[in-house]
Amino acid sequence: MAESHGEAKGTASAHTEAEGGHGFPPFQKETFPSQIVSLVITFVALYVIVSRLALPKVGGVIDARQKAIDGDLAEAQRLNDESEAAMKAYESELAAARARAQAIGAETREKLAASSDAERKALEDSLAAKLAAAEKSIATTRATAMSNVRGIAADAASAIVQQLTGKAPAGKTVEAAVDASLKGTA
Amino acid sequence: MARGLRLSSELIAGVLVGAVLGWGFDRLLSTSPFGFIVFFLLGFAAGVLNVVRSAGIAPDRSRQ
Amino acid sequence: MIDPIHQFHLNKIFTIGHIGNQEIAFTNSTAYMLLAVVLIAGMMLAAGRALVPGRFQSVVELSYEFVANTLRTSAGSHGMTFFPLVFSLFMFIFVSNIVGIIPYTFTVSSHIIVTFSLALLVFLTVIIYGFYKNGLKFFKLFVPSGIPAVILPLVVVIEIISFFSRPISHSVRLFANMLAGHVTLKVFASFVTMLGALGFVGKVGALLPLGLTVALTGLELMVAFLQAYVFTILTCIYLNDAIHPGH
Repeated sequence: MAESHGEAKGTASAHTEAEGGHGFPPFQKETFPSQIVSLVITFVALYVIVSRLALPKVGGVIDARQKAIDGDLAEAQRLNDESEAAMKAYESELAAARARAQAIGAETREKLAASSDAERKALEDSLAAKLAAAEKSIATTRATAMSNVRGIAADAASAIVQQLTGKAPAGKTVEAAVDASLKGTA
Repeated sequence: MARGLRLSSELIAGVLVGAVLGWGFDRLLSTSPFGFIVFFLLGFAAGVLNVVRSAGIAPDRSRQ
Repeated sequence: MIDPIHQFHLNKIFTIGHIGNQEIAFTNSTAYMLLAVVLIAGMMLAAGRALVPGRFQSVVELSYEFVANTLRTSAGSHGMTFFPLVFSLFMFIFVSNIVGIIPYTFTVSSHIIVTFSLALLVFLTVIIYGFYKNGLKFFKLFVPSGIPAVILPLVVVIEIISFFSRPISHSVRLFANMLAGHVTLKVFASFVTMLGALGFVGKVGALLPLGLTVALTGLELMVAFLQAYVFTILTCIYLNDAIHPGH
């Protein structure tokens, strides 16, 4: 390989101008202008296509993708923040509700206690009043009964005395005697 | 092979440019052959510098 | 023996015109250059615009991102001015290298004049843009910092020669790789046919060069990409000098 390379190089540099189509092709000077012109035309065309059409297009697609990804990430972040905020709001609301429930419970308990106290007191009062009334009615009943007993006793005494003596005793004497005996028994 | 070709092309390029510069120098100032000799040696130095740089032994200014 | 050089011959297809006395011919080289341009343009323009790319669109976008990243890392964001140029260079070299591996085709980049013209294009772009952008500060490129004043002139001359040697090494590297690769391939492939003509024993013996040819084709595919990449990254590095010569 190296041999043919070197040999070809030698012949190319020696004979290029004399013998057109021979020698080592990459060193044939007479082909240079054609290649340069070809290269200039094709490369300029490539450059124009690449810089005007191809790169803006591909770059635009890549940018659009990057933007979409960034947008999606930002959106996801936003949603995440939002859900976190909602969670926090929910938790604080829950705590507030719990506190309120406790307050209401305590208040209700107090109210109930107060009302039951009042009820008890009213009941006791009414019972005491009823007791007093009952005692009073007993007392009057007894007094009435006592006075009836005195009348009956006086009548009975005068009747007994009339039976025994044959004459009716004076009412006043009988009553006094009955009272005296009642006081003695009572 | 690729590495060898790379390094040898660096050296050859340096020597070649030195030789061409020396030849041009001689043509302009008719100092032949001293310009050629001096620039050939300088070209060799530049070629060695290129090789050393592209082999990554010496710090390469242009890569920093 | 099959001539391994034959594949590099230029065949005139028709004459386009004349410049002075020089005939400008439409050759097989021109045809393959056109083919590369048509392939690149067709591929890029036919690729879809889907948000989630298909295979074909992925390839196009991958090449776009690849060249863009190469350029951005070597020449900074300012270097993106040259993105169309660098992309065109990379795709042109890469596609013509790949096309050249197909048997019976012609490899555009196996001709020194082609690679040298491309390298010269880069070189002139660097010089013109370097002076346009930096004015006389562009000369700083030739004056490395931290060099004693005594040997500074010598270093500057060496740096200048080194600078002017760039388009040569830039183009010779690509040219020599493509040329050597294709010659080697051809030589091994011709061993296969030569041994194959020698009866049964020859046919068995031909298996070795056949295997080598297959392996070399794989290698050449890699070289086709690698050399396009090397050409591109060197272009980026040289452009970086034009943009930031002080470094």
